[in-house]
Amino acid sequence: MFCDMARGTDEVSEPMYYVLTALLDGPLHGHAIMKVIGELSGGRVKPSVGTLYGILERLNDRGLIVVDREETVNGRNRRYFRISESGQSVVEAEARRMQEAAALVMKRTSFA
Amino acid sequence: MTPLERRYRLLLLAYPPAYRAAHGKELLGVLLDCAAPGRTTPEVRESAGLVTGGLRERVRHAARGSAWRDGLHLGATAVMAVQLAVLLPYAGSIPLWVVLSALALLAVLRGRVRIALPLALLTGAKAVAIASGRQLLDVTLLPVYPSFLTARPMFVASSPATVAVGYGLACCCLLALAAREAPPRTRSWWWWAAVPFAAWAGPAWMAEGTPFPISLSRMALELAVLGLAVWAARLAGDPRWALAAALYLLVVSTQLGEHLAMLTPQHLAYWGLLVLLTALAALVPYGGRRRVLLG
Repeated sequence: MFCDMARGTDEVSEPMYYVLTALLDGPLHGHAIMKVIGELSGGRVKPSVGTLYGILERLNDRGLIVVDREETVNGRNRRYFRISESGQSVVEAEARRMQEAAALVMKRTSFA
Repeated sequence: MTPLERRYRLLLLAYPPAYRAAHGKELLGVLLDCAAPGRTTPEVRESAGLVTGGLRERVRHAARGSAWRDGLHLGATAVMAVQLAVLLPYAGSIPLWVVLSALALLAVLRGRVRIALPLALLTGAKAVAIASGRQLLDVTLLPVYPSFLTARPMFVASSPATVAVGYGLACCCLLALAAREAPPRTRSWWWWAAVPFAAWAGPAWMAEGTPFPISLSRMALELAVLGLAVWAARLAGDPRWALAAALYLLVVSTQLGEHLAMLTPQHLAYWGLLVLLTALAALVPYGGRRRVLLG
């Protein structure tokens, strides 16, 4: 049972999880996503630009995020990404799974 | 354009042209926004991220469309590149057939399988005729001696049946692809670069006089390409690379099988490596999944 839980609900790496979490507050462009991920993880998760855009393309392919709109600011193109309903379900399922996994440890140590 | 922007633009060449055209400016903007003021060279981390991101993007683009058709096309491309490599050292004696073989490869690379098929059939028929010591269509002085890249006469260690299997397999793939109206995609020009490496009989690593010697350059090329196939298969979780590798392995195995009683341990090691990498390309798409691990 524990193995099933540890396997996860889908193929979501740690940076992917943070990207999805960052988008829960609303659509963001690449640079903003990078900043929010840094803040959420206390500076621990810092994907390179190449890695971040690879993650965004894969999440987009899987329908977990969608392009909300495109803008041109100071001659630079920006795509704003939005989390989709299935993306929200996946990140919520991941959070629940980790909460349950953490609870297994917490109830054995906190009340020992 | 600042030196930093110029260097980032160079690194962005790792991405496929279509992706660069659509999103290159966007990535460049974020890269420049993230760079420390006054910086003139990209960070190592960013450079590595762009190279791996670009290669991943190329694999993602390559994994689109029917895996079955694309695998057949890729396998036929690899087999036909080596068939041209086999003829290339004899360009001085049989220039017409080398040109026809090169045109067949060009047609396959451009996705023109209906043009490639008759060219492959024609060069295949001539190759089988040379291997069996017969004349076909034009007069060829036998044995055919090389001009460069190797010292061995043409097909000195290959039976007509083995040559026919290779060309037959390539033609079957082309026939299957030609049956559909939609042509396959165009393939990389890098396949041309593989031809001289496959044709070169050096550096020699097998004892002189070994029947059917495998050159180090050919082996290194095959292992590198199959290694890329395993990596791409893992990344995309797609079976097309395994199908192409299996088709190529079938042709090589036919050639090695012909000399089964005389194979050296080096041959067996070479064969084993090709089998291992092909099996890996077939198995890695179904490997374990990554999961979230929060620190």
